Amino acid sequence: MADKNFNAFQMAQTQFDKVAEILTLDEPTRQLLREPLREYHFSIPVKMDDGTTKVFKGFRVQHNDAFGPCKGGIRFHPQETVDTVRALAMWMTWKCAVVGIPLGGGKGGVICDPHNLSMREQEQICRGWVRQLAKDVGPLNDVPAPDVMTSSQHMLWMLDEFETIKGSKYPGFITGKPIGLGGSLGRTEATGYGVIFTVREALKMLGIRPEDTTASIQGFGNVAQYALQLYSMLGGKVVCVSCWDQKDQKAYSFKKTSGITFEELTGITDRFGGIDQKKAIELGYEILDADAWIEQDVDILIPAAMENQVREDNIVKVGKKVKIIAEGANGPTTPEADKIIEEKGIFLIPDFLANAGGVTCSYFEQVQSNMNYFWEKDEVLGKLDYIMTSAFNAVSDLSKKKNLYMRDAAYVISISRVAQACKDRGWS
Amino acid sequence: MTINSANINNLVHALEERAKELNCLYTIEDAINNPEFTYDKVFSTVVNAIPKGWQFTDITSAVIVAGTVRFTSGNFCESKYFMKSEIIIDEVVKGYVQVFYSKETPQFDEGPFLKEERKLLDTIADRLSLYIHHEESKRILNNLQKIKDNSRTGTKENWRIIIEMLFRTDPVLYKTILRKLLYHLCWNDIKEAIDFLSSSSIEMIASGDETPFDENKPLKRKLVNNDEYESTILHLTEKHLKDEEVIEKIQKWITDDKISSLVKAVENNNTSLPAISEILRKHYKIAIEKHEVSTSIDKGLRVSLLRRFFTEQTEYITLAKEYVDLDDFYNLIDKIIFSPTSHGKLGGKSAGLFLASNIIKKFTQDNELLGNIKIPKTWYIPSDGIIQFLQYNNLEEVIEQKYKDIEEIRREYPHIIQIFKNSLFPPEMIQGLSVALDDFGDKPLIVRSSSLLEDQVGAAFSGKYKSLFLANKGNKKERMSALMDVIAEVYASTFSPDPIEYRAERGLLDFHEEMGIMIQEVVGKQVGDYYFPAFAGVAFSNNEFRWSPRIKREDGLLRLVPGLGTRAVDRLSDDYPTLIAPGQPNLRVNVTLDEMIKYSPMKIDVINLKNNDFQSKTVKELLDEIGDSYPKINNIISVIKNNLLVSPIGFGLDDSNSDVVVTFDGLIKNTKFIKQVDLILNILQEKTKAPVDLEFASDGNDFYLLQCRPQSRTRETAPDSIPRDIPPDKILFTAKKHISNGKVPEISHIVYVDPEKYNEIGNRNDLLAIGRAVGRLNKILPKRQFILMGPGRWGSRGDIKLGVNVTYSDINNTSMLIEIARKKGNYIPDLSFGTHFFQDLVEASIRYLPLYPDDAGIIFNELFLKRSKNIFPDLVPEFSHLKDVISVIDVPETKDGMILRVLINADLEESVAIFSSPVKSGSKENISSDVSEWKPSDQWKWRHKMAEQIASQVNPNLYGIRGIYIFGSTKNATAGPASDIDLLIHIDNYSDRLEELKIWLDGWSKCLSEINYIRTGYKTNGLLDVHFVTDLDIENKTSWAVKINAVTDAAKPLLMNLQS
Repeated sequence: MADKNFNAFQMAQTQFDKVAEILTLDEPTRQLLREPLREYHFSIPVKMDDGTTKVFKGFRVQHNDAFGPCKGGIRFHPQETVDTVRALAMWMTWKCAVVGIPLGGGKGGVICDPHNLSMREQEQICRGWVRQLAKDVGPLNDVPAPDVMTSSQHMLWMLDEFETIKGSKYPGFITGKPIGLGGSLGRTEATGYGVIFTVREALKMLGIRPEDTTASIQGFGNVAQYALQLYSMLGGKVVCVSCWDQKDQKAYSFKKTSGITFEELTGITDRFGGIDQKKAIELGYEILDADAWIEQDVDILIPAAMENQVREDNIVKVGKKVKIIAEGANGPTTPEADKIIEEKGIFLIPDFLANAGGVTCSYFEQVQSNMNYFWEKDEVLGKLDYIMTSAFNAVSDLSKKKNLYMRDAAYVISISRVAQACKDRGWS
Repeated sequence: MTINSANINNLVHALEERAKELNCLYTIEDAINNPEFTYDKVFSTVVNAIPKGWQFTDITSAVIVAGTVRFTSGNFCESKYFMKSEIIIDEVVKGYVQVFYSKETPQFDEGPFLKEERKLLDTIADRLSLYIHHEESKRILNNLQKIKDNSRTGTKENWRIIIEMLFRTDPVLYKTILRKLLYHLCWNDIKEAIDFLSSSSIEMIASGDETPFDENKPLKRKLVNNDEYESTILHLTEKHLKDEEVIEKIQKWITDDKISSLVKAVENNNTSLPAISEILRKHYKIAIEKHEVSTSIDKGLRVSLLRRFFTEQTEYITLAKEYVDLDDFYNLIDKIIFSPTSHGKLGGKSAGLFLASNIIKKFTQDNELLGNIKIPKTWYIPSDGIIQFLQYNNLEEVIEQKYKDIEEIRREYPHIIQIFKNSLFPPEMIQGLSVALDDFGDKPLIVRSSSLLEDQVGAAFSGKYKSLFLANKGNKKERMSALMDVIAEVYASTFSPDPIEYRAERGLLDFHEEMGIMIQEVVGKQVGDYYFPAFAGVAFSNNEFRWSPRIKREDGLLRLVPGLGTRAVDRLSDDYPTLIAPGQPNLRVNVTLDEMIKYSPMKIDVINLKNNDFQSKTVKELLDEIGDSYPKINNIISVIKNNLLVSPIGFGLDDSNSDVVVTFDGLIKNTKFIKQVDLILNILQEKTKAPVDLEFASDGNDFYLLQCRPQSRTRETAPDSIPRDIPPDKILFTAKKHISNGKVPEISHIVYVDPEKYNEIGNRNDLLAIGRAVGRLNKILPKRQFILMGPGRWGSRGDIKLGVNVTYSDINNTSMLIEIARKKGNYIPDLSFGTHFFQDLVEASIRYLPLYPDDAGIIFNELFLKRSKNIFPDLVPEFSHLKDVISVIDVPETKDGMILRVLINADLEESVAIFSSPVKSGSKENISSDVSEWKPSDQWKWRHKMAEQIASQVNPNLYGIRGIYIFGSTKNATAGPASDIDLLIHIDNYSDRLEELKIWLDGWSKCLSEINYIRTGYKTNGLLDVHFVTDLDIENKTSWAVKINAVTDAAKPLLMNLQS
């Protein structure tokens, strides 16, 4: 009965087993990579505002550090389970490996609901977390970052506690810091630009000039906006963007055949990516149904909103011209839709490759913090381009060579890299 | 030309006369009020001032006779041309004022005199009566004081002198005092006095028969004559009481007697409010300021005044009498605009504010937190002002408006507004308003209705009548006319269809609706062309929307907005106020940056002084215009810097491009505001013995209280009564933890996501599909008539095992969101309390309830949920593989027509869901148990009729129509005023002909929309919502086709005319 339950860690292990099978990995390596290297479970006592003391449960899972210090967020979640954290730590290992940055995978969390906590109490949890782990984390061991319900504020509290314990400055201990306090420029653009770097490489591979292409984007948050910007700069034409309308509680697609520009559309967009319908009509946009973005006769589809948006029911409506789907969001495609995409022969750039610009920029933040010297934005984005391009090429080469679906190829490449590193270190 | 100039000359002359009269009155008032003037000086000044007020000053002379003294004006000359007015004190003529013309003049209204001159003379005589009375009283009191001082030094029998003085000056009072002396002797247990009292009587009581102890008959009394009676009392007094004691008592009784005239006047319902005010003014000077009134009279007086000025309600009076004193009334009467015969009251809003401000005043000295709490300057028009307004303009027939058809009322309402705005105000009101305007200066004003119906428990009239803002700019004439315009509009709103309909539904139609008016200074500051408070809001003692189990109900709730409070009072559809629990200000609703931005107030209401207009602007627009001259801006906003929200430090907005979010962080962290509100709520709740609901505003420095009323008056949060001894089979669930009050409509459908089954799902996609299926049900099931019950945390995103992954749009039609916490091993999982879309739930009044089925003493009828017929697979066949996890139960179908009723009582911390018979709309019980939302009565009926009409008129053969169906609110008889008519047309196929049909239907749609507007006042863009379906759709059960032959809430076929 229990094993019927959905369990994120089991799911991650199953996925790993599948790839391990393809790679015919030996048993010790499989055993090593199926489980985290280290786990820390601890209690964080906190004096609450009302004078009582409450004890919170904290975790840190270091899945694999063969490539370098572990990297991964800290989640504040009321029903956090260690299995979820294990699964996420494992995914971090693969994600870092696929882009080839010298970092391992980690994840941590505290079982708490920030909705029930004052800011002071949250600060005490952050500091308590660091006090428990100070000897096991750090710029050379394990670098935390913000995640579910934690923000740059939490990171600054943690950094401050860590530096107080160590008696020195260690800006590279944590990422997700604000600019001016150890944060990196280019963070805002990184994920959206990263998506387009991979799209550009995919077009190059398919022998199509970007200026001859059109695209349709789902979502108009941070990722979608910068994807639109860079893609337009490359000469491509975005004809449709869909976004959520807070007031109507439903999504709409905004279509403009003559092409949508970043400046024009962001000019009529609020901070949540909601587009002003009235102004859009004035600017010549057609307002269509939520799903219209996927039905457009374009070359490139970029789902950059949320998970489960490309499904069995709407994938059939995809235009014949579509050649590339680049997953800007996490998990936008359901497994059923995945099969249809593969059958249709559409070139898919899987999420953990396409949106790896974010983690890459975190890596840059860490590097800059460690040397306490911060780059110009152009330098950050230039380096990002290089890393994303190489990562894409490696995955697509493998996909071609071994005739693998891109999503499988990405997994294969990252897992084989980690396995190799473990072997080289003599671990298995 | 000549006629015109003659007219003008006449007019100028008339005005000059009025000015002379006024001058004369002013001189007289000055003299009377001048403390340095002696009695004689006052009279000689007055008598010499009189001729200047008359038309022919040169030939006018005057004489005043008061008691034994006589004063004449300088040129005194008696003649046969005179007018006379008597000086009357305590109903006795004590003198007169006489005005003479020394020679003959043309004839006017009263012989040679003008009618205005008659009025002037009467006024002068009245004024002199008062003055003389006052002076006499003063003299008596002074004499008493002297005697009292002497008595201390041992002079005996002083009281005798007083009694004699009284005997001569005021025989009535003399008798009263004697009677009181006798009672006093009895109180002091003087046996002789007791015997005398019980055995004697003065001539009045007739002797009856001889049985002294028959309870039903009066005792036999010994008759004594008056002299004997008096001398006995005086004798006993001399024998048993000390001189000093007697004098003290007499002094007190004399004062009491003066006050008693006030008490009598106030208690007499025939006394008009201006008369009461006048008496209050008079006696205030004599006695009240000396605090020499006995407590019982003082209390009686306060009670009577409360009753006359505010309400007959004993609950209110019992409370208020402890906190108001006569000073408060003395200050109040100066701010009331009366007509001379007014008998009205000031209305519920005024009463609430008067009480609250006086309670707080009592605590101000002991608590510095209350130091800067103020009430904005307010003037009042009593409730019968509207009647006088109607009478003055011969508009009385408007009162009968309420008995007309609602359609007619709605059609006529715009005319009523126009008529009212073009009507004149009675001159006394104009005069009063003019004084009020001078008092206000050019500060913007709000004119609020203060309805008497607000006193009726259970009828929350908030928002039913108008409150209008006024920029109050321009010259006095412009401001005056704008003010009258607005008052007329507020008066007109009494006859607007919405409140009339609301009253009709609650059986309050026959209640004589009079409406008081409050004219209040708008709290705020002028910045640029705008005027607004730094922030404003509403506060509740009881928090009925709790976002964390750590927040207790008594921690209260604040809805805070920048600018005018209008946005905090109303539920908003496109914006969110900031929510704070004053008892736990650090536990915020929103914790992530995204949440904090998304649920922050984006708009602000202001008064635009340039356009004389009330405006809603976005906060960004306003700040772009005025920048950091916004009052106390650092308390209001935070700035997004590098993904962090920071409170500005120092100069505030240093950069106009800053990304600004309204957070009130500064206000919460750096000021005493939250503590203040918490304290005020606590004090008012404790002292009024009920949770309260406040409106407030702040100009940045001070806290202004704008309104206060019991929270239970808001129907929405009144607790339900929970019946006991409900048969267990009638109960679906009970709950006893974290209960918040709120009304839930009758439930026809239950959507139940089985926690156990949900937990067993092994596949992430199936978990996600559950969320989508719920979203689909949310669209199909009748709006606000179904509840969602599911495991753990609704809206879970990352870890969707914890709860169904839905967004707000997937649940926004439910009436209640229920989270079930089943025990897992030895722990009970935390629930979300709706945090993922908390503020959306608040604004839509969707209630939240947590269930803990495994707690002791809790009933959770799992069998019903699991075993009842599950119509889920029929409703959404595309999700039928999830039927083991999701159940949809059609309650009336399963329970023989019964519905589910969720009763909530947070006072008892209890909630229960029971199956019971539906209450027919419009019936009596409905009034006591209906829901917060406006309950439709028969909106569906005519809609249904129209739908039948449409179906019968269409030619089915021409368009290939197989059938026309009706569904949704019209079919279910739940249609509200804004509901559309949902039609489903089953066609052979989509053909070009269909376009014709669509155009025809569109015409219907527009006409029906117009009819609906006339009936309900709701403007819609077409009333028909038509869906076409084909055989194929029905076969595949796609979209609306599921409604045909559906298992629940199926569309109903309409009769078509097949012959055509």
